[in-house]
Amino acid sequence: MSAQFLDIVTTAAIFYVVAAGLLIIFGVMKIINFAHGGFLTIGGYAALIVTQLGLDPWLALPFAALVGLVIGALVERFVVRPLYARPLDAILATWGLGIIIGQLITIGFGREVQFVQSPVQGAALVLGESYSQYRLLLVLGALLLAALLAAVLHGTRLGLMTRAVIMNESLARGLGINSGLVRFATFSLGSALASLAGALITPLSSVDPNMGVPWLVNAFMLVLVSGASLVSLGVATLVLGGAQVLISAYGSPILGSLTIVVLAAVILRIRPQGFARE
Amino acid sequence: MKHRLSAFAAAAALGAGLALAGGALAADPIKIGIPVGLSGANSVVAPSVVQSAELAVEEINAKGGILGRQVQLDVADDGSGAAGAQKAFDSLIFQKKDDALITMETSAARNAGLPIVSRGKVPFIYTSFYEGHSCNPYLFVNAWVPDQQVAPIVDYFMQKKGAKTFYLVGSDYAFGRGMLQFTRQYIQKKGGKVLGEEYEPMDATDWTAIISKIRASNPDALVTSTAGGAPNVTLTKQLRAAGIKSLYGNLAVDEGTAKSMGADAAGIYISASYLTSIDSPKNKEFLAAMQKKFGADLKTPNDLSVPEYEGVYLYKAAVEKAKTTKADAVIKALSEVSFEGPRGLIKMSKERHAPLTMYLGQVQADGSVKVLESFKDVDPGNQCPKLK
Repeated sequence: MSAQFLDIVTTAAIFYVVAAGLLIIFGVMKIINFAHGGFLTIGGYAALIVTQLGLDPWLALPFAALVGLVIGALVERFVVRPLYARPLDAILATWGLGIIIGQLITIGFGREVQFVQSPVQGAALVLGESYSQYRLLLVLGALLLAALLAAVLHGTRLGLMTRAVIMNESLARGLGINSGLVRFATFSLGSALASLAGALITPLSSVDPNMGVPWLVNAFMLVLVSGASLVSLGVATLVLGGAQVLISAYGSPILGSLTIVVLAAVILRIRPQGFARE
Repeated sequence: MKHRLSAFAAAAALGAGLALAGGALAADPIKIGIPVGLSGANSVVAPSVVQSAELAVEEINAKGGILGRQVQLDVADDGSGAAGAQKAFDSLIFQKKDDALITMETSAARNAGLPIVSRGKVPFIYTSFYEGHSCNPYLFVNAWVPDQQVAPIVDYFMQKKGAKTFYLVGSDYAFGRGMLQFTRQYIQKKGGKVLGEEYEPMDATDWTAIISKIRASNPDALVTSTAGGAPNVTLTKQLRAAGIKSLYGNLAVDEGTAKSMGADAAGIYISASYLTSIDSPKNKEFLAAMQKKFGADLKTPNDLSVPEYEGVYLYKAAVEKAKTTKADAVIKALSEVSFEGPRGLIKMSKERHAPLTMYLGQVQADGSVKVLESFKDVDPGNQCPKLK
């Protein structure tokens, strides 16, 4: 029983970290960044580089975030910004970008499955269960991330401007807020978060050029169900992630992988705002 | 006068034509196709398989080739699955027009490729261990089947380690299900109890749900049969991270993959027809030649790659016996020829399959495998009773 509880909490934490970057881009720019899966993959390969260089596995996290930040900034400037007035085309452009990222990685790293060093090995005794330490640390990571994002959004000037743009972009521009800067910062940060998430999830599994694609669908559904709120994302990951864990355990893992998509569709049908407050 | 001249000219032309044709035939290379998992689950082991084939071909060509013709390899990516295999087999058989296919693949890829092999009428030597009972007029297998591999592990667990309860985990396709079905029947025949049997898709990387179930039922021993390569690594990593303490027998991990797992692999029990520590002159010769050819790029030779080396030589022996590359004659010869390789004397004489010497070993902390028991010339059983 307590193992199930730990599974739910750690799975929710993993989904939170993966979806946060997609959420902030959606909230501010009102577009879904379909290159999100590609950035997850970039983060995974950044971690691979750290492993191959023989460096401390913890370095993979800041390195992946940095790589994501830089590439995200370039993408915003040259791919997304020119398409500002055409959001649907911008979404298509990010989809194409995701494919390009996958192919470039195949050319650069080869297409085979590779593995990354885990910074933490072994199990710890929690709630009477011996459980993976790394998964438990990810819960801590997700909480830290949520706190950090909340601090930036509610405690900084940029955060204030961002909240204004989320509420009503035209009005914010009318008040003199540089929404272009906000969009640039948001996309870069969202990409950095996606990359960081990629580096966080690979020690549990593996890297290959298409590792981000399965996460994209689930992250997309979680974001749709959460609106623009980080808090409702937390609720969504617990509810939907928890459902996935329980259905995988008592039904089959195949049904489990369908859970998030099916449940999200059902929730949106019943309550179009999803878990968001308004 | 005119008739004799034209007759002479015709004869000369015919003679020249025949000589040219004969010369061209002699120069035509024999082409061996290798559809293999360069991407996907098998991508962890595919490089070692290709290396084995390359060494065999290099050695054979250095000694004059087969029937005086040089051997050429065509490698294609089958994506470790059915969709990729269809493309790979199609391109190798119908575009590249290869004379034979000799390769290691997942059962999904093999099953998708066999109808294409039947259409193309090309000998297919399958060098991968698998779940057994795959029968096709063009198919030969020189690697082990469950009848040869499962008993050593289960018997050791039950008799030497006192295990009574088992949990089975596999990849959800022909190999995973076939191996575990055989294992379940064997365990129950010997008086053991199977507490659970769970599967994940071949490319799955998240074993959380199954690991929680294993923890809840607390079996004496865990027996796994995932696709070769990546799933072994992710499952083992996650099992170790979760602190599962049951005996761990892995039916599908090869020595190369175990080595790349590092400390996580220590303690795993495997049953294989090839280990690098086999103490025979042929094996030492083989390992030295591989080291010389590939140096620092050498991928550890293993139970999935060494049969490939022997498979190429078995094909050579069959073509030389049949004195042609024509499929029917080669297929007849393939059940009659033998080759003394790193695994000993290999002859695919038992219903298209081969009796093999099997080794039960345990992976050590340094990645090497300690041999616990060995079983000479284990019979593959009745795999294809309907084929001659």
